[in-house]
Amino acid sequence: MSPTAPYQYDISHGPAYAQLKFDLKANQTVLVEAGGMAAMDPCVEMKSKVRGGLMKGVKRMLGGESLFLSEFTAKGQPGQLFVSPGVPGDIQHYAIPEGRSLFVQSSGFVAASPTVEIDSKFQGFKGFFSGESLFLLHILGPGDLWFSSYGAIFPVDVDGHYVVDSSFIVAFEDTLDYDIQILGGLKTGLLGGEGFVCRFSGKGKIWIQSRGVFQLVRFVNPFRPIRD
Amino acid sequence: MDIEVLNQPDSSIARVILAQNEEVVAEAGCMVAMSDFLQANTTLRKGKGGGILGGLKRMVAGESLFLSTFRSPQAGGEIFLAPKLLGDLIICEASAAGLVVQASSYLACAAGVVVDVGFQGFKSLFTGESIFWLEISGVGPVLLSSFGAIFEVDVDGEYVVDTGHIVAFERALTFEIGKPLGATWLSTFLGKEGLVCKFKGRGKLWCQTHHPAAFGRRVGSRLPPR
Repeated sequence: MSPTAPYQYDISHGPAYAQLKFDLKANQTVLVEAGGMAAMDPCVEMKSKVRGGLMKGVKRMLGGESLFLSEFTAKGQPGQLFVSPGVPGDIQHYAIPEGRSLFVQSSGFVAASPTVEIDSKFQGFKGFFSGESLFLLHILGPGDLWFSSYGAIFPVDVDGHYVVDSSFIVAFEDTLDYDIQILGGLKTGLLGGEGFVCRFSGKGKIWIQSRGVFQLVRFVNPFRPIRD
Repeated sequence: MDIEVLNQPDSSIARVILAQNEEVVAEAGCMVAMSDFLQANTTLRKGKGGGILGGLKRMVAGESLFLSTFRSPQAGGEIFLAPKLLGDLIICEASAAGLVVQASSYLACAAGVVVDVGFQGFKSLFTGESIFWLEISGVGPVLLSSFGAIFEVDVDGEYVVDTGHIVAFERALTFEIGKPLGATWLSTFLGKEGLVCKFKGRGKLWCQTHHPAAFGRRVGSRLPPR
């Protein structure tokens, strides 16, 4: 099976509970986030794989997210594979052209073709220093990529400038430049709870999610038992 | 102001388009994305009930005192606003008749809408559960959020709702907060039953299918202590 053969896939139950189904051709392989497999045919073989060697995998784990990938191959015959993201939300497909790349929030990685390269030199988000950090994967083409959100995903076509709260960024094209700011200065940013925003400039697409996992965590936190 | 609600009902998000010099007021922290030329600011709403002290009380009750305002110096400013929890959004019109909104259900409104945080509903000394309501009047659209789905009830006579399921109601309704019929204060104290609100009169009531604090307790109680 040629690694560039097109994938037959289907995204169902979006935007709240999206699941990704692959109908793999005989000997076709797809990379899936470790733990992302929900169900599959018995002919599909799983191999754990750390992209770019073990140490780099560990480094990514320290980046807030264990990006250990599993390789799924339909051995000798076609096979079905269901992939579910860790949080309820939507899934988006993007075909990264040769020579181009996409930045994806690290917990948003769902699946990719084995032809993509994950840039291990990329150090997350420049200028980021809060606990609410956003870690990005830099994924180089060519190849297919599926990424997920908490809540729905909506695209915004930027031509000029656009501001996005850092915890709502799902992915963006490499034609966009970005820098981190505190919205409206310190008073609004800290007292108002608006936190860190990412200011994009250039021309390209951003995918944004309609809910933030960090916001959910912050909601649940006061309900934790209190230490005596 | 042009408001569109997208991705209903589970992942609802509001897209607001502002005219020149128009302003939208929103719960602090609910801005998802926006045009870069919008001017953000934070306002502190003081309650009728008295300045700093009233403010502190509300902070203890877990409610944010801060509202953010976003102003568009030019036409076509765009902003996306979303609540914290999964659920729906509805657009209500503020009016002189007035609306009472559960504080955690308030998301945003036009600048012509008056948000009064001075109205303290009730705080149970037993369960520590607080009911903190906003009084809404003035003119313009108000965005309300629900945890889960939202359903509307036309009250004519009497109606009983668990306080955690109230989103908003028209001021034409009078209410009384207490324990549900047949429940004892002990069971209320033990958290077996929540507080209920008994409405009387004629008016609209909006309820949510899920109770945020019940969800918070279910998940939070299984987490390590803080």
